[in-house]
Amino acid sequence: MRLKVRADLGQLSRIREFVSESALALGAEPASLDDLRIAVDEAVTNILTHGYGGPGDVELELIADGPDIIVRLRDQAPPFDPGLAPPVDLRPPGERDYPGGLGVHLMRSLMDEIVHQPVENGNELTMTKRDVVNIAGSSADEESR
Amino acid sequence: MSENLQIGVSREDGDKAVAVMRLKGSLDANTQGELESKAREAVDSGAEYLLLDMSAVDYLGSAGMRAVHAITNILSPDDPSMRSARLKILNPSPAAAKVFKTLGFDSFIDIHDSIDEAIAAL
Repeated sequence: MRLKVRADLGQLSRIREFVSESALALGAEPASLDDLRIAVDEAVTNILTHGYGGPGDVELELIADGPDIIVRLRDQAPPFDPGLAPPVDLRPPGERDYPGGLGVHLMRSLMDEIVHQPVENGNELTMTKRDVVNIAGSSADEESR
Repeated sequence: MSENLQIGVSREDGDKAVAVMRLKGSLDANTQGELESKAREAVDSGAEYLLLDMSAVDYLGSAGMRAVHAITNILSPDDPSMRSARLKILNPSPAAAKVFKTLGFDSFIDIHDSIDEAIAAL
């Protein structure tokens, strides 16, 4: 399931809705939807704010691979690897001025694997959430690539 | 105001000047600034403590948590040690509570089930 949008921050809610609907259609457990929505929202927010520095084209694809949901994001922004973001600072507000790295920390905490790959004219980010599709069920194990 | 986040503000002044902000909708990078602005307005109009009712927050991401952090600075710009103490969270939705926990904010910002309990803890 694919979505290609000229994204800005105002489209984040639409993008999250697409993630929920697509993941459900692919057979993902409803309990996994919040994690998927957050991971994609954080990734797109990073692409827009750190990559493009404003609105830009984002292509989003969700597929089911056996029991896993794989989310792939492509953009044409300058190379930006969220794995190289500064480590999260989880100290209390009295001890830190600005909490950096929260988004990437959420992505890492909620997804099982995150791989960034620079591609021609942009970036590809692949995030995997494991064991959330009930493949014993009906349509969940369809080849949906 | 964004259609994605509605913010209702009321005062619950007793011994202390308290504003209650009721959030409904999504708290993301698009709506983070609205929450910070409303909090600043409340503080500018005299509130010393803020209660954020998050029972109707259907989405909370890191941008929302940066807003929460910013609000602690707004509430206590000169005394870092008081930052966490002037903000309380009310009834977070399951989606919001999970993000608080994942980012460790629940270890330094109190979360309460009721307004009365939160005000008593101020």
